[in-house]
Amino acid sequence: MVTIEIDGKTLQVPKGSMVIEAADAAGIVIPRFCYHKKLSVAANCRMCLVEVEKAPKPLPACATPVTDGMKVFTRSPLALEAQKSVMEFLLINHPLDCPICDQGGECDLQDLAMGFGKDVSRFTENKRVVPDPDIGPLIATGMTRCIHCTRCVRFGQEIAGIQELGAVGRGEHTRIGTYVARAVTSELSGNVIDLCPVGALTSKPFRFKARAWELTHHAGIAAHDCIGSNIEYHVRRNEVMRVLPRENEAINETWISDRDRFSYPGFYSDDRATRPLIRQGEEWKEVDWETAIAYAAEGLGRVREKYGAERLAALTSPNASVEEGYLLQKLMRALGAHSVDHRLRRLDFRAPDSEPLAPALGMAIADLETLDAALLIGSWTRKDQPLLGHRLRKAALRGARIAALNPLRYEFNFPLSEHLVHAPQILPAQLAAIAKALLVLSGQPAPEGLERLLENVEVHESHRRIATDLFEAERAGVFLGLQAQSLPNLTELRALANVIAEQAGATLGYFSDGANAVGLALAGVLPHRSVGGQAVEKAGHAADAILGGESRGLILHGFEPEFDTANPGATLAALQTADFVVVLNGYDTPAMRRYADVILPVSLVHESGGTFVNAEGTWQTWRGAVRPFAEARPAWKVLWVLGNFLKLDGFEQETVEQVRDELREALGPVVPDPRSPWQAPASLAGQGGELYRIGHLPLYAVDAVVRRSPPLQETTDHIVGALYLNRATADRLGLSEADTVQASQDGHTATLPLVIDEGVPDDCVFIPQGVPGSDSLGAACGPVALQKVTA
Amino acid sequence: MMTGTTASAGRIELISEESRAEIDRWIAKYPPEQKRSAVMAALRIVQDQNGGHLTTELMDAVAAYLEMPPVAVYEVATFYSMYELEPVGKHKICVCTNISCMLRGSDEVVAHLKERLGIGLGETTPDGRFTLKEVECLGACVEAPMFQIGQTYYGNLTPEKIDEILEGLD
Amino acid sequence: MTAFARFLKSLFLLELFKGLSVTGRYFFARKFTLQYPEEKTPLSPRFRGLHALRRYPNGEERCIACKLCEAICPALAITIEAEEREDGTRRTTRYDIDLTKCIFCGFCEESCPVDSIVETHIFEYHGEERGDLYMTKDRLLAVGDKYEAQIAAARKQDAPYR
Repeated sequence: MVTIEIDGKTLQVPKGSMVIEAADAAGIVIPRFCYHKKLSVAANCRMCLVEVEKAPKPLPACATPVTDGMKVFTRSPLALEAQKSVMEFLLINHPLDCPICDQGGECDLQDLAMGFGKDVSRFTENKRVVPDPDIGPLIATGMTRCIHCTRCVRFGQEIAGIQELGAVGRGEHTRIGTYVARAVTSELSGNVIDLCPVGALTSKPFRFKARAWELTHHAGIAAHDCIGSNIEYHVRRNEVMRVLPRENEAINETWISDRDRFSYPGFYSDDRATRPLIRQGEEWKEVDWETAIAYAAEGLGRVREKYGAERLAALTSPNASVEEGYLLQKLMRALGAHSVDHRLRRLDFRAPDSEPLAPALGMAIADLETLDAALLIGSWTRKDQPLLGHRLRKAALRGARIAALNPLRYEFNFPLSEHLVHAPQILPAQLAAIAKALLVLSGQPAPEGLERLLENVEVHESHRRIATDLFEAERAGVFLGLQAQSLPNLTELRALANVIAEQAGATLGYFSDGANAVGLALAGVLPHRSVGGQAVEKAGHAADAILGGESRGLILHGFEPEFDTANPGATLAALQTADFVVVLNGYDTPAMRRYADVILPVSLVHESGGTFVNAEGTWQTWRGAVRPFAEARPAWKVLWVLGNFLKLDGFEQETVEQVRDELREALGPVVPDPRSPWQAPASLAGQGGELYRIGHLPLYAVDAVVRRSPPLQETTDHIVGALYLNRATADRLGLSEADTVQASQDGHTATLPLVIDEGVPDDCVFIPQGVPGSDSLGAACGPVALQKVTA
Repeated sequence: MMTGTTASAGRIELISEESRAEIDRWIAKYPPEQKRSAVMAALRIVQDQNGGHLTTELMDAVAAYLEMPPVAVYEVATFYSMYELEPVGKHKICVCTNISCMLRGSDEVVAHLKERLGIGLGETTPDGRFTLKEVECLGACVEAPMFQIGQTYYGNLTPEKIDEILEGLD
Repeated sequence: MTAFARFLKSLFLLELFKGLSVTGRYFFARKFTLQYPEEKTPLSPRFRGLHALRRYPNGEERCIACKLCEAICPALAITIEAEEREDGTRRTTRYDIDLTKCIFCGFCEESCPVDSIVETHIFEYHGEERGDLYMTKDRLLAVGDKYEAQIAAARKQDAPYR
């Protein structure tokens, strides 16, 4: 620590910090444009010039390290003169178009010009004009307004990991751009809108729609991944106009992903459900809530009488809040049914006892940065959970050795120490090889049941290197990603991941599906476990059986089966034949009208309060930002009323907080532990087949809201429905790019264009799930047959 | 697509064998992880290979060769006036108009060249022989006014001397 | 004053004659009364009457949807919605002034960076239904189109003092 004095205030600041950091900590305001605490120091705007005693000239506070006994004056005549002069230069070329600029009212340059600018410009020459490049559907540009602070350029280099914007040209001709017309593709690109101190980079979906001063701010929690980013809904006249991040160093720092920022147009899609609907033969009738709920209660009661409670089931999306999940399972269990589940994209439900208490991260999100080695299994972290990817990237830049084992060659924005890409059936054998290498390093005997399995496993140099990295690292992590969790051999992968973590002394963790998989597991939305993981007397059916036709009466909450389940073809067929289907959804789709008997319009995440438990186990509660759309009501309230209509006990709660508190009380102090008692798998070989489908879930297909957001769907990051094959496999099958090909799985077919992609392993075809085109196919991962369609 | 490499789609094969060998000599001067330090030399070499100017494809190729983002190469290429982004004439006449040359009459030099070649600054003669360019100080103030053609400096210029020089060129 | 003096004053009706003299003076003085509506008072160029939205001579509406008038309006009488028009410019899709809320302070006019929203010299208007006094964008533009000459003249007259 050194002692410095700023404006007569004596401060103790850490050695090596900059003057501006010391001033910020002490609440002393120094104007700045290019400095940002999360980016490197550029010192090119010169706005933060301050007077330092014994220095002959003003010095930039952002690039001047503190020294003991330093005396800084931020408001002295010399400092003010310097700041005002810099402001005059900055305004030379800045257009006077504040009235039409979206940044107007929340602009750093506007604010600082009020304090440091002059009324009249002495610049009489022509102002510079810069054409605006089109950099994609998310970011609008107004480059004439740019003051060349290069925050956006540094963001690309340092945070996003792909430099897409650059400062081209020099002097007065400097411009920020991509040089050649090219869309910015980073999954974190929206953050440059927040970073830009002027109106050069603004939000395209928000363009010209509202002013900063009209918007009321409502805290929220992002609902598209397991990070639980802290966000802020900016609302005008009961409509969400935009979404911005809230700072939370432990979770999302100052960033949010584009998915969290630009999903809000999906709230206002044309197919929002407005009023409760009941089926009258082939017709749909709009009714009031009381009639609809009575109809639903009666229908469920009828199924229970006819088939028994075990043929009743309820499914909810992994984005449901803790309260919704808790009430749903409470309702079902009070009816005597244990078939409740939220694991819609899972294919493998073998070994339920080996399931962890909750698929949590096993560590704090911020601690991902401190890892020295990690193994990612079936995860495109960068796109699946962009901010977890960002934390891992920070670790990698620090020197961590991060390896990945994936079914597709995903692109990462940091160097991987190893990237093993193999067909899904081979992944367990690969993990076994790493486990075998680890056992050699640790010198321990193989855990019970594994010796026989590991006997024939071939260990390569790359496996050895991964094992060594994990073994030697002080802090190591083994993580099962979204893709791993949706593979049909999850049981094997999970067991082997547990073995590797145990042998290497590493933390085991999951990058879980949806926003609240951890919370829903704790709330007991599982067929074999109730609240807090307590075993139930007689386990109900898991999602695959429920959707496979085992259930006659169903409650479906918050998902679209054709996009959000592991096997849409089978699911839709089963729903068609079910006796009674109650749908609680924010949207009203033609597909829903084919299988539902009652459609209850429920509010979306921004309209109802709730709680999410994120991957690290943090409980975050938010309140609704706007009134529910039309006659929609919060789902927890609907379940509560339904419980009362069915005359069940324990549905007396009046507020969403009461529901949460009831659950927390029932849970007690519980830590979501991702480790689980594994059993050695019987064999490592997966079910084969001539051709195997890999059904990776694209980042802009994860839920109904995201799928309805036009700006996200227009990005180049969005993966469209097609068949992706590598050249060798395509040649073997006699197919080429020009062909239209029919894919079939168990009688479910889809006709799609073919795309050659060398990132797909041999004898595999990547058909994305959750996108139009693949919504009629079978299991997201499994054997598939391709046949050329002749025109 | 999703799994392909979008970072740099540059085609390294656009850089000739000889050029690559020369770039490698420059790369060797820097630590392996600082390979991109060779970007200025690489651009100059590739520009010479391409007859005096750079194209976007060539810059992408350099980016791919040095494993750096293409936009970082564009930044360098657009910053320095020695890199040409449009085709130039056989002889590039770079007239210094900085302070020393200006005081010693560079305005007349420019005026004479404009008149003789019939082109303005930054333009190329229709026959593709000459490109006229205004540059900042080339460090030859001792013989101001001066210009550079190709790799050669010519100082103490007068209209007569300029005519002589231009006629002496092929 | 003595009681005797008061007696004399009241006896000779002095106060009455004093009053009659004032009446008499004004009886012959120049008259102020205007026979409204046949006659009208002159209006200041800064008079603040009915609102109008102006156009540029080429027919393009001036308003750029900066929303400063909406922000400054102390009576919250202005409601604006904006969007990007097809040609990429910032334009209003809705510009409403509720005249029943408006207090005619003129702040909207003061705040306008493009002299789009103005208050005209029109003060003789009425509404027979509540909605009649709810001015929409089309109606405001129509007022502007009709009285542009008058509006422009008033702005010109006032220009030296701004």
